[in-house]
Amino acid sequence: MSNPDTIDPKFKDEVMAELGGEHLLRCYSCGTCVSMCLVSRVSSEFNPRRTMRMVMLGMRDEVFRNPTIWMCSACDLCYPHCPQGIHISELMRAIKNIAVRDGYEAPGPVAVVNEEECSGCDVCEKACPYGALSLVTKVFDGQQRKVSQVNKNLCMTCGICAAACPLSAITVEEYSNEKVAAQIQADGWLTEPAQRLPGEPQLLVFNCSWNLRADVDRAALTRFPPNVRVIVLPCSGRVDPIFILLALKSGVDGVLVAGCQPGQCHYKQGTRIAQGRMRILQQILDQMGLDMSRVRFVQIGTEERGRFPALVMQMLADLKARMEPANITA
Amino acid sequence: MAEKLRFAIYWAASCGGCDIAVLEIGHNILKLAEAAEILFWPAAMDFKYKDVEALPDKSLDVCLFNGSVRNSENEHVARLLRAKSKVMVAFGSCAYEGCIPGLANLTNRGDILTCVYQETPSTDNHAGAMPQTHWAVPEGDLELPEFYDAVKTLAQVVPVEYFVPGCPPVAAQVWNVLQAIIAGQLPPPGAVVGVGTRNLCDECERVREGTKVKRFVRPHEVIADPQRCFLEQGIICAGPVTRAGCGRPCIHANMPCRGCYGPPEGVSDQGAKLLSAVMAIIDPEADVEQLVQQIVDPAGTFYRFSLPDSLLQQAKWLEVGKR
Ligand code: SF4
Ligand code: SF4
Ligand code: SF4
Ligand code: SF4
Repeated sequence: MSNPDTIDPKFKDEVMAELGGEHLLRCYSCGTCVSMCLVSRVSSEFNPRRTMRMVMLGMRDEVFRNPTIWMCSACDLCYPHCPQGIHISELMRAIKNIAVRDGYEAPGPVAVVNEEECSGCDVCEKACPYGALSLVTKVFDGQQRKVSQVNKNLCMTCGICAAACPLSAITVEEYSNEKVAAQIQADGWLTEPAQRLPGEPQLLVFNCSWNLRADVDRAALTRFPPNVRVIVLPCSGRVDPIFILLALKSGVDGVLVAGCQPGQCHYKQGTRIAQGRMRILQQILDQMGLDMSRVRFVQIGTEERGRFPALVMQMLADLKARMEPANITA
Repeated sequence: MAEKLRFAIYWAASCGGCDIAVLEIGHNILKLAEAAEILFWPAAMDFKYKDVEALPDKSLDVCLFNGSVRNSENEHVARLLRAKSKVMVAFGSCAYEGCIPGLANLTNRGDILTCVYQETPSTDNHAGAMPQTHWAVPEGDLELPEFYDAVKTLAQVVPVEYFVPGCPPVAAQVWNVLQAIIAGQLPPPGAVVGVGTRNLCDECERVREGTKVKRFVRPHEVIADPQRCFLEQGIICAGPVTRAGCGRPCIHANMPCRGCYGPPEGVSDQGAKLLSAVMAIIDPEADVEQLVQQIVDPAGTFYRFSLPDSLLQQAKWLEVGKR
């Protein structure tokens, strides 16, 4: 039970007065949003319905002190399903805005800019789906320079900026270039002949963290043969085309990149950005006289259970067919 | 007076712009002539290969080698000059990273020769004559250099101490490099010299406001706003992935950077990195497939100067080797 002394009966009015908070009272606690939300997978505490109820009950401190309020990525999977038409991500944002004004901060982690290396090109500001980046002028060694700055209350650690930054000056620590490279190379996957099954193709898979809803689908990721290596990144927008070229030039036969269906992307724009990058990369491979089918990009809808393992095995089979002597073209 | 530096300047597969870039140092050429004796410079003075062959090994202090390695003659002279020179400099984009001639690596020797000797509309070659490396005529044996399957950078053929980027290197940087050579103040071998720090954007004065791209356009399709960042106008600018140092002549002429100064420190593939940046700045309302269509000739756009020195090229050589 919450302490009645800390109850703020005006809290609901405050939220409703905030842009996006208008429809709070429409919620009748059906829980549809919770059943749609993918965040519950990483935090069972995250529960928009409960948060809305707590706001209505005036539990101001409890709401703000709960770290889960920062977790809504505004993917809007829940929005079309809410029978009351509440735009829940907007409502969560209204709550966060008040929290920020009260001095609360998102717990992080967030993207980090290396100001020494940043050139102020502003590519990252344009890339970020959340408006979390902007240029500020700072003085270094007596010289004014523009550098990118992260708003830690807006960053969702999708890593799109990290793939976009031309100088690798912005990093999401858990998915840094070095860590991704280490995952690809672990156990000598690229270099040790013992890791290569003779006559079998090697397939590198980058999957986003959100396109597989059910635990059983995600468990299937660990059951591929050893010539398939799956790297899970937050978002397909984190895949830097350089990762793919590094794999191809090291002898990997094919690379599969999988993201969410457009409109269902957990980070709003990531899957569209990945689509653009992969389509252009395929065209470049084709112009270069390389087989463009060695790089594939798929977008998986949240309802398409079980499609993923089949896609991987199909690509593996196609790569194997390419290796047959009859199919090797000069 | 100290002994004069012994210099060689050579052109392999290049347009000749890099030789002119040396002359562009203007009256400083007199200072160069004071400090250095030029023992070989086919573009400017009359020398023969046998003049170089007659020199003792390591008797040249510096060789500025421009042009990429397209054929066996280029390779032969590269090896010869390497043997005769204490310091070998890959001078200009062709020698450094392959440059425009390197775009020929999108295709191969066979297709290029067929196109040039048989298919171009102005070609009349009923006999189907193709270039041969050896041909006997009554007067004796004739020889032509062998045309290679791919264009290589200088460092892919011989060890190189320094790299000077640019298509061509701008005069101020050429003079900086020459002064460093004359003064004996070159950095440790392996360095890219005659450049600035970071990338072009770091120095660029154009306004950036975070505007996302609704439509990509080519430079000739619009008149660009001279104040605003090209990328924010949908014009692909290689500035973010290009080493600073040129002084931005293109940007000042209201043309986007094409990337001729090569990738900044730490960028392993200029083309892939530009692609990654450019496709990340797209507007949420725009149609992705349309944006993709709007980028005409992606390989030429993203790898205009760096193809032979790219990861993409290495992937191709691996695949060609397997066939
Ligand atoms: S993309 Fe990288 S270099 Fe450019 S402003 Fe952002 S952090 Fe700095
Ligand atoms: S990680 Fe994603 S949300 Fe965070 S600043 Fe980068 S692009 Fe924006
Ligand atoms: S992208 Fe081009 S126009 Fe924009 S800031 Fe960089 S160099 Fe300047
Ligand atoms: S602006 Fe770009 S293309 Fe133009 S000279 Fe400089 S580096 Fe080369």
